[in-house]
Amino acid sequence: MTITNVIAHLGSWGLGKIFGLGRMGVFLLQAVSGLWKPPGKFLAIVKHIYFIGHRSLFVICFTGAFSGMVLGLQGYYTLSKFGSEGLLGAAVALSLIRELGPVLSALMVTGRAGSAICAEIGIMRIEEQIDALRCMAIDPHGYLVTPRFIAGFVCFPLLTSIFDVIGILGGYAIGVMLLGANPGAYWDGIYKSVAWEDVSMGYVKSLVFALLTIWICTYKGYYAGVDSGSMGPEDVSKATTEAVVLSSVSILVADYVITSIML
Amino acid sequence: MAFSDSIIVVRNLDSYYGTRQILHSLSFHIPAHQIFVIMGVSGSGKTTLFRHLIGLKPTPPGSVWIYGEDIGSWKSGDWHKYWQRIGVLFQNGALFSSMTVAENITLPLAVHTNLPREIITIMVEMKLHMVGLSGFANYMPAQLSGGMRKRAGLARAIAMDPEILFVDEPSSGLDPITAAGLDDLLLSLKEALGMTVVVVTHELESAFKIGDYMIVMDRGRILVSGTPDDVRKSNDRRVRQFLERRADESGQDLEAYLERLCTVRSRVKS
Repeated sequence: MTITNVIAHLGSWGLGKIFGLGRMGVFLLQAVSGLWKPPGKFLAIVKHIYFIGHRSLFVICFTGAFSGMVLGLQGYYTLSKFGSEGLLGAAVALSLIRELGPVLSALMVTGRAGSAICAEIGIMRIEEQIDALRCMAIDPHGYLVTPRFIAGFVCFPLLTSIFDVIGILGGYAIGVMLLGANPGAYWDGIYKSVAWEDVSMGYVKSLVFALLTIWICTYKGYYAGVDSGSMGPEDVSKATTEAVVLSSVSILVADYVITSIML
Repeated sequence: MAFSDSIIVVRNLDSYYGTRQILHSLSFHIPAHQIFVIMGVSGSGKTTLFRHLIGLKPTPPGSVWIYGEDIGSWKSGDWHKYWQRIGVLFQNGALFSSMTVAENITLPLAVHTNLPREIITIMVEMKLHMVGLSGFANYMPAQLSGGMRKRAGLARAIAMDPEILFVDEPSSGLDPITAAGLDDLLLSLKEALGMTVVVVTHELESAFKIGDYMIVMDRGRILVSGTPDDVRKSNDRRVRQFLERRADESGQDLEAYLERLCTVRSRVKS
């Protein structure tokens, strides 16, 4: 391969990426403009809140409890070395509210609901259901994407809150009930150390993660097989894998960026 | 067939996927209230042409006129109006799998009309009766056979009483009896509702049974156009080959290729 071929390939790859980013931006704008287009979205939003929120409750409670428990365990042993077990409540609560709650709940929802959203829209694409929507003069973005965005914005902060509360209770169960830390000090530490800024940072993160997850998962599903032109089941599986990986990476990158801005 | 009777006029339509040319300067016109059949083997460009006509593939200006308007210059609002005037039956029905049959048919009516719920329910029942699916309103698409799914898709396509009905491969994957039933249904829609029907198919029996006018395509070009009799009488070699269902002569090239391969292998061995 000559040097000109290498440059041509690199250029083609770069142009492809820029085109993809531009198309993602347009996709988001179309989803926003879909807010004002028929059909009405109330029932669809309720359905997606049930799917993204209610159906994710078990996994959120489960991972929240174990995250809190491991924080309680690790925190107790670390703090007890310095005689600071009284700070256990603050350590568990701040870790959960500022970092682990939003990040882990977003990763869990991406794995459970994001992949399903991408696969569902991808199957609609390869079975010509999205084309059918357009030919019925129904905006596919407004019908398929916009309600999921709204449901995501409702569910992510709520699931994060539940994750935080269950995690704090998990930390209490291990730190106080099992290892013997002072219960009054645990709750007092949380009361004195957690400020509104910590809670708002958690909510800002969960809203940004909702945007990223729903955006990436719906986009990948919507364009499954469009670029390859094959429109087969393998395109849906590829799109789903890409959606989960890209969403997860984006969540971690966005977490760092938001933390560095808001600290 | 005069151009003035035509609802769709195509003039020198070229189409590309990337740099690959799919359609080569196609010109024909589709008369109103008739069944127009687009025929051809796989890879002849039928589906690409179909996607141009239903607005799923951008069309260059000055190539296709529908209702006397150049669709290449249409804005999204014009497409929105056009889509409300047409019905499309996709190859596999394209029913929404999370909805019942009735909900699928209700969707366009609920979005584009202000009709009360009771009237919409009656209209849905009428459409289902028309396609012979009375009693299947509450079935999910997955519970239907392939032929039933196509008929349900047809019921949804005609829900808004479209002026033009586009049908992609109505007989593909169906047994001969079900396929014949679907052909009769298209004929009755033309007769009863005066619809213009555009059908893409590679099934000869079906095409000659329902078509008033037809084109035969091959490798992105029109080989012959006209009435079924015009097509039957065509002396074009590839049309005869298609009508007589003979394999492509390129099969002989394959034999020659294999022969050459054997010669090369024997030389390499020696």
